[in-house]
Amino acid sequence: MGKQITFDKKEDLPLVTSSFESMAWNKTGDWRYLKPIFQDKTPPCNNSCPAGEDVQGYLYLAQKKKYKEAWNLIKEENPLPAVCGRACMHPCEDSCNRGEFDEPINISAIERFLADNAIKQGYILPPIKRKKKKEKIAIIGSGPAGLSCAYQLKRIGYQVTIFEALPALGGMLRIGIPDYRLPKDILEHEIDTILELGIQIQTKARIDKETIAKDMKDFHAIFIATGCHKSIRLGIAGGDSRSVISGLDFLKDIHFGKKVPLGKKVAVIGGGNTAIDTARLALRLGAKPFILYRRTPAEMPAIKSEVIQAENEGIEISYLTAPTRIISKGNRVTALECVKNRTGPPDSSGNKTLIEIKDSHFPIEVDNIISAIGEIPDISILPEEVDLENRLIVTDESLKTTMNGVFAGGDVKSPLRSIAHAIGSGKRAAIAIDRYLKAKTLEDVMDTIRIGDGPGLSMRSYLQRDDPSRRKTKQVVRYKDINIDYFEQKPRHAVKTLSIEERVSSKKEVHLGFPCETALQEAGRCFNCGVCNHCDNCYIFCSDLAVIKHKGKTRNTIDYDHCKGCGVCIEECPRDAMYMEREEK
Amino acid sequence: MSSTMPMQEYISPGHMACPGCGAVLAMRYILNVLGEKTVVVIPASCWSVIDGVFPYSAVRVPLFHTAFETAASVASGIKAGLDIQGDTETTVLAFAGDGATFDIGFQALSGAAERNEDFIYVCYDNEAYMNTGVQRSSATPYGAWTTTTPVRHPKDRPKKRILEIMAAHEIPYAATASIAYPDDLSAKVKKAKGIYGTKFLHIFSPCPTGWKSKSSQIIKIARLAVHTKVFPLYEVENGFTFHINMEPKNIPVREYLKLQGRFAHLSEEDIADIQRQVDEEWEHLLKRALY
Repeated sequence: MGKQITFDKKEDLPLVTSSFESMAWNKTGDWRYLKPIFQDKTPPCNNSCPAGEDVQGYLYLAQKKKYKEAWNLIKEENPLPAVCGRACMHPCEDSCNRGEFDEPINISAIERFLADNAIKQGYILPPIKRKKKKEKIAIIGSGPAGLSCAYQLKRIGYQVTIFEALPALGGMLRIGIPDYRLPKDILEHEIDTILELGIQIQTKARIDKETIAKDMKDFHAIFIATGCHKSIRLGIAGGDSRSVISGLDFLKDIHFGKKVPLGKKVAVIGGGNTAIDTARLALRLGAKPFILYRRTPAEMPAIKSEVIQAENEGIEISYLTAPTRIISKGNRVTALECVKNRTGPPDSSGNKTLIEIKDSHFPIEVDNIISAIGEIPDISILPEEVDLENRLIVTDESLKTTMNGVFAGGDVKSPLRSIAHAIGSGKRAAIAIDRYLKAKTLEDVMDTIRIGDGPGLSMRSYLQRDDPSRRKTKQVVRYKDINIDYFEQKPRHAVKTLSIEERVSSKKEVHLGFPCETALQEAGRCFNCGVCNHCDNCYIFCSDLAVIKHKGKTRNTIDYDHCKGCGVCIEECPRDAMYMEREEK
Repeated sequence: MSSTMPMQEYISPGHMACPGCGAVLAMRYILNVLGEKTVVVIPASCWSVIDGVFPYSAVRVPLFHTAFETAASVASGIKAGLDIQGDTETTVLAFAGDGATFDIGFQALSGAAERNEDFIYVCYDNEAYMNTGVQRSSATPYGAWTTTTPVRHPKDRPKKRILEIMAAHEIPYAATASIAYPDDLSAKVKKAKGIYGTKFLHIFSPCPTGWKSKSSQIIKIARLAVHTKVFPLYEVENGFTFHINMEPKNIPVREYLKLQGRFAHLSEEDIADIQRQVDEEWEHLLKRALY
């Protein structure tokens, strides 16, 4: 088709003007001064995930009912989706463009569905095809950072040993998050899938500077992810009293089956997740806990939805209330004296300053006081060569400490304490250690593996398991880039929760998770920001017939010989998976 | 969106339309439904140019170029010829612009419709004589600039209500459609193909050249025309039964007007006036649809 015809002689001309060929010979691409290009961009959910999950990618697979592939895709970046689907603070949902349209996608519930479904169906990870490497790496600490690092190093091919001080793996996931939020069989299942890759473990192996110096000589690199397991002491009169329980110790003791004698009136001091978890656990043990927090609800670091659940369960939270003195009778605490605060102008760190309201002191009758005002790392175990700042390990971008061959991540290194951040730093360390052992830098690969302009790195890109031609640009797609004419408003599906009575009388999980049908519908709400999902709008609306469809999953291409550059494809792409470039003439 | 439109194409790339031409999409969507067994009749129009020059054609089915006023009479003749040959399979499609439909070819069209000739007549409406240089037609909307209704004297008469005029011939099927909604358009072509007699389709086809709009925004403009009620999607069966096919989102007409340079001169009062006219016509249509 499309060849040009010439008539050499007059006799060759037809009797009437008639056509013999199409117009395809006419290369109208010459008319173009703007060139449309198919190019996937970074969705905001992917951009904001500290663990580097391809959120849009697995939501898309879930839309296609490819639940196993979706789970596999999460697992490439994060070995703990069943944990994150339950206990992550999901910044992905905060950045979801759908939030400006109606409500954000319930990503955490879909992640949890995919992970639970994988457990139910007995899915196993595809075997590692990479060659086994001889180098050995020690991971100190088996929280989310340590597990993530061990998992990714093993996938790269290294020999990994995890050292854990406690009798069981999981770190803060195990001792810090009660069963009603993260059932331990779920955690253990996910840890098992990691260990099944062939990772050595040593539990009850408390590491200190001597063991690091002596026993770890054989290791080619060490990753320190010991977390924050020391509670900050309550700095008030009577605060050192033995009757003040630390929130973290309380959670740990209950987890390991120890009896903690509790009275009825339990005051929990603090505003983080430990405080909320402590109070809710105390409630389940028959107490009447209440929470005292010195700042305002907006400044509370705990996950918002968990705070709401605590309130639903009848736990009273007094804001702008700070304890000043513990009143004891003998060994027994009887009351807590508090003072009311008001907020002043913000200080240099942006926090509102707190001003004590004069003569507002008042006593509260209490049976127990649980202090959950924060945790700090136990730095006494660290070698002197490892530099610290503000009691946190100092590292460079590649998580390398000041001690040769020693890397650090998770809560012991970063003030950004979340499961997703810890998982992300474990992965970053795994990549950095691989680079270090190859005598190369992390910086060289950052451009390839960094997701958008966010905190996450892509293991999939690092291991070159993705399609390099479909790698996303760093540009993050925002709501204004979405063509909302192609979407209808649909409310977000909420997860069902256990009744208050059932919650208080058991340790059962509060959130019930999505049934398959709901997960499918909720995934269907995803805009697929910045990533072509083969909707074919570009093809349908091309008046130059210059968009070419291909069989299978290959994305459409543009026939630049004929595209006149009108730009309709870009305007009508619902998800901004294209861009326009000035044509060089 | 996933379209139900058939994807077998009957137009070749390399055609002579301007970038972002709505008329090409109109023809493309229609032929995709009608298929190979179709004869197209084209009077003088943009499409006379778009199709290409001798000895080429951008359309892969037989296509007959004819004089401005003759689309309906030539289509009648071709249909008669096919009847004599005993060909009952082939669809005859007259494909004319608004000039050849609303003005110059109207006599032939009205006559053919009155005789209930068996063909599909499509008017792709870009609201002026675009091919000859953007002169006003009776399809040009109130307030619009054209080269013959300059900014100082923009058009001061409303657009002719062609669909109701055609429906008044009591033909079996008359419908509006838009290039922004190919599925609705395809469904209407399919329906028309299955009906004996004169079928009239009025297709809204933005023209970035004549409307002084961005070539990238033709679909957006066409979509807004539906949702501002400027160009509602509806059909009329047998002259009396009206159905509205898509509930407009009731977007202010300003949103539609502001994307087009041909309306750039309008004052706030003019826009309010157009809004009033659009609302009135919509009420008028609603009454008929509810009747």
